[in-house]
This record gives sequence, structure tokens and C-alpha cells, in this order.
Amino acid sequence: MANQTLAHSFRESPILRPSGLIVLAILTATVVILTATGSRITLSLLAQATIISIMALSVGFLARTADLISFGHAAPFGLGAYGTALVFQHGIPAEVGIWLVLVAVFALFFVIGLVVGKLNGIAFSMLTLALGQFFFVAVSKLRAITAGADGMTVSLPRSLFGLPSRTFQTPDGMFIIAAVILAALVILIYLFEASRTGRLAIGVRENEERVLFLGYRTKILKAAVFATSATIAGVSGVLFALYQGFVSPEIMHWSFSGNALIMAILGGSLAVWGPVAGALVFFFLREWLSDLTEHWLAVLGVILITVTVAWPGGMTGLAKAMRTRISGRERNGGGK
Amino acid sequence: MSFLFRCENIGKTYGGVVALKDVSLNLESGQVHGLIGPNGAGKSTFIDVVSGRTPGLGRVFFEDREITGISPSAMRRAGISRSFQRTSIFPALTVRDQIELANHGTGGGNTGELVEMLGLGAVLDTEAEEISYGQQRLVDLALALVGDPRVLLLDEPAAGLSVQESAVLSGHLEEIAERWNVAVLLVEHDMDVIFRVCKVLTVLASGRFLVQGTSADIRNNPVVIEAYFGSTA
Ligand SMILES: Nc1ncnc2c1ncn2[C@@H]1O[C@H](COP(=O)(O)OP(=O)(O)OP(=O)(O)O)[C@@H](O)[C@H]1O
Ligand SMILES: [Mg+2]
Repeated sequence: MANQTLAHSFRESPILRPSGLIVLAILTATVVILTATGSRITLSLLAQATIISIMALSVGFLARTADLISFGHAAPFGLGAYGTALVFQHGIPAEVGIWLVLVAVFALFFVIGLVVGKLNGIAFSMLTLALGQFFFVAVSKLRAITAGADGMTVSLPRSLFGLPSRTFQTPDGMFIIAAVILAALVILIYLFEASRTGRLAIGVRENEERVLFLGYRTKILKAAVFATSATIAGVSGVLFALYQGFVSPEIMHWSFSGNALIMAILGGSLAVWGPVAGALVFFFLREWLSDLTEHWLAVLGVILITVTVAWPGGMTGLAKAMRTRISGRERNGGGK
Repeated sequence: MSFLFRCENIGKTYGGVVALKDVSLNLESGQVHGLIGPNGAGKSTFIDVVSGRTPGLGRVFFEDREITGISPSAMRRAGISRSFQRTSIFPALTVRDQIELANHGTGGGNTGELVEMLGLGAVLDTEAEEISYGQQRLVDLALALVGDPRVLLLDEPAAGLSVQESAVLSGHLEEIAERWNVAVLLVEHDMDVIFRVCKVLTVLASGRFLVQGTSADIRNNPVVIEAYFGSTA
């Protein structure tokens, strides 16, 4: 009985509807075509943008699932990246080491989540900002382990996860790897939302008090959502370290957390894919504007403010408004 | 005889203001007990303290076991359920999803019968924010009823409902108490509902116990009339 309901709900997931599968097919084709035809520079930008999209997805997942705005996600990103660098430096088998890094990120942020679970709104955001700065300072100061401001070179072994290491450091290779991981994460999030636990998480976001009065305990779930979000940022950090081959404290600076947040807001949280779209637009807009003008930062700021004022739901809000208008027109047309 | 649910000397102070003081009240299975009083009498505060929503004074017993101070979720799993004066549902979830959520949290019960009784079948797959206010109140009630609770604390379930809707609701409340053998505490301003479904009434005024009696007693009690309409206070 219970399984039946669950199966039913999974079938309801947008990602498993024909439209969702069509979108997935189109995106897959796009990745293949881009890989085949794109220049090395284009592919390198695409690889970076896809890695950053995973980071934005992590921030957006937390915003969407728990209504929590993190100003500190550069911390789990950086821990993922530094963790990878350390795994290679100490000759730990990568296939085990990288998983350990991600498990450690999850565990750390799960514990943090248990402690700060009562906070929300601005208090939560401020705490994540402070936490992010703490890790930034820690990585900068722990010279013996992280080489401080000098940064660390990530020296990959000859092969990794059954692939030649080069694959991870060439633009087309990393673009495909990051795109596959990004797609897998987006699909997993869609499935999570259709699951019973996912709906419980949405229930907690909407009305935690009522959830408690329905007999649930919410503390562990909230910590798990926070830790999951941090771990997704960690995955992004791992890919970043593999691709760049170098990590330094800058990647844990609060401004990186801020950028990820802007991407998530630009994309909006009315759909799972929002932050990914926001990240891609932000990334390429920034590339394009910085070629065009020295004052790209100001121009970008104005564009972002305009967009978020015009569509408070970001790009997902725009998509929803368009869909409502189209279906409204159809309905009106049918009535005549 | 022994009561299913006993509340002794319930009290609550909000920053020096006494909202409720020494109110005791017992609930019996299969019976609706009305809790009435003017605005600010302390009715919601009573439910909040007893249900563990807010800390307060006094002791609570369920089946002769003291349960004072247990968490809301433990209380619900023990079979004590409540609703809220302000509609407290999940706007973004469909009616089906939230009833299913409640069903799982409370350990299960007959949701099909419940949906049918409350007439929510037609809106099952609609998000709660899209349905009418009256239907939202019914969803709120449904969330409280899922999982076959033994004790039900309802805070103004008829608030904002039309006369017809309130009449239908009264029917449901009678049925819930009698057929499902639930002990119901009903806070309500709608006197038609109160006098129709309640066997016993407790009246509060300014946070104090005023009087308790059968519906007939209370209806004509000069002290109660004074509390509601009097100008001497
Ligand atoms: N959170 C709070 N902080 C301070 N005072 C409160 C709070 N909640 C209630 N009160 C006060 O406690 C008293 C009792 O309020 P309560 O809400 O229990 O009354 P009520 O009988 O439910 O009234 P109503 O019929 O209007 O719902 C009132 O004087 C109210 O102002
Ligand atoms: Mg009240």
C-alpha cells in the first residue's frame, strides 16, 4: 500500500513526464553537439560554467527545499576542493578518498545543521556568512596543511575512476563529466521532491509547526537537507579542483558564496532547474560583458537588479508567468 | 468515573500579563466539550498550553498517565490532536499530499472515509492555496483527524464559514465524537454550532474559569450573559 502510493508519486514527478524526458533529450543532444563543434575556449568556459552550475544548484536546493539563504556555501565548495587536493597529496587512493571527502562534508554540515537547526531567515544567513569566513581564515592560516595563500597544486594520479586523468583536465572531457553529474543531481532532486521525504521537507518549509503537530520530528530532516546541499557544493568543489589542478583560499572567500547566491536568485527557486539556468546566464553574461567593458561589474549589477525586480521569481518566475499566460489564452480560446 | 483526558490548573503568563489561570477541565470519550468565552478569554491559550505548543503551568493526564510537557509530535503520536484558530495547512502541497503526509506522520488511519465525509474528493489533486477558504478549513480539520486521534482539541473550526458550511461542520463534529468515540474539546464563537454539538460547556472570562454546565444551563445563566454582554466589568 505504502509502496503503491510512493510509486504513484514518483510517476507524478515532472522529470518523468514526457515533457521532462523531452527536455532531457534536447539537453543531451546540445551537450553532444557543443562537444563536437565547440572551440577549445568555448568548451573550457562551458566546463567551468557547468561546475559553477552545480554550486548554484546547491545553494538553490537549500533555498527551495528549506527556504534558507546561505551566504557561506563557498565553505563546503572549498572543503571539497581542498579535500581533493589533500587526498592526492597524501597518496590516498582517489576512488576512496574523494568519497571520503564528500562523506566528511556531509557529516560536518549535518552536525552544524543540528546545532543551527532552530535558526532561519537573516539569523541563518548571518551564521552561514560567519561560518564561511571561519573556514576561509582557517584554510588561509593552516599553512602546514594547506600552504596558506600560496595554494596547493592538485596532482592527479595517472588514472581516476577508470578514466585517464587527462579526461578531467581537458575542456571537452570535464564538460561532459560535469554535465552528466549536474544532470544526475537535478534528476535526483526531482525524484527526492516526489518522494515522501521530499514532501515532508516541503511541509517543513511551508509550515514546520503543523508538521510537528502531525507527529513528525523535524530536526534530523532539516540537518540532512542542509548537509545534502553542502555536499552538492562539495561535489562542485571536487570537480573544480580536478579541472583547475590548483586550489587557493580565494575559492572560499565570501564573495564566491555571494556569486553563487546571485546565480540562484537570478534563476529563481520556483523550479529545480532555476539555479542552473541562473548560473549559465550569469557566467556567460559576465564573460561577455567583461570583454565589452571595463565596468562590467556595474553593468552586471544593474542587469541583475532589473531582472530580479521585474521577475521576483527569477527566470523560473518568468517561465511560470509565461506558462500561465499561454494556458490562460488556450482556455479563453477554447471557451469561444 | 475516570476521564480520558484531564487538564489540571492550566495557567499561562505572557510577560507579566496573566492570560490564563488555574483552569481545569476533563474530556470524556464520545463527547464534545465546549470551551467558550469572550475574545481574549484565554481559550486558545488553554489549547496551546495543553497541546505543548507553548510552555505553561498545570498538569495534563491522558488515560491516567501524566503527559505534561511532552513534545507536540509525541503528543500526536499518543493520539492527541489539535487544529489551529488560524488556518494551518500546507499551501503548496496538494490536498492529497498533505493528507498523505499526516497519515504517515500519525501512523495511519482511514483517510478515504475522512475525505469522503468532509467532501474533499473533488479537490484532492489541487494545491491547497488554490481551493476556497471553506475548503481550506476542512483540510485543516482533516489534518487534525487523520490517524484516528483519541482526543481532539479544535480551535474555532467554524471561523469564517458560511451558515450552511457551519451546519455541515456541526454534523461532522457530532459524528466524529459519537461514531469514532473521540473526546473533543471545541472552542467556538458560533453559538449555533456550540449548542448543537456540545453536551457540556466550560466558560472562561479574562483567563479565569467562570462556570461549567450543560448547554441548557449555560444558555440561560445570568453570569455568562453578563460576561458576554455585560458592561459592569
Ligand atoms: N503570544 C502572546 N503574547 C502576549 N499575549 C498574548 C499572546 N497570546 C495571547 N495573549 C493574550 O492572552 C490573552 C488570551 O488570549 P487567547 O488568544 O487565548 O484568547 P481567546 O479566548 O482565544 O480569544 P479569541 O476568541 O479572540 O480567539 C489575551 O489577553 C491575549 O492578548
Ligand atoms: Mg482564540
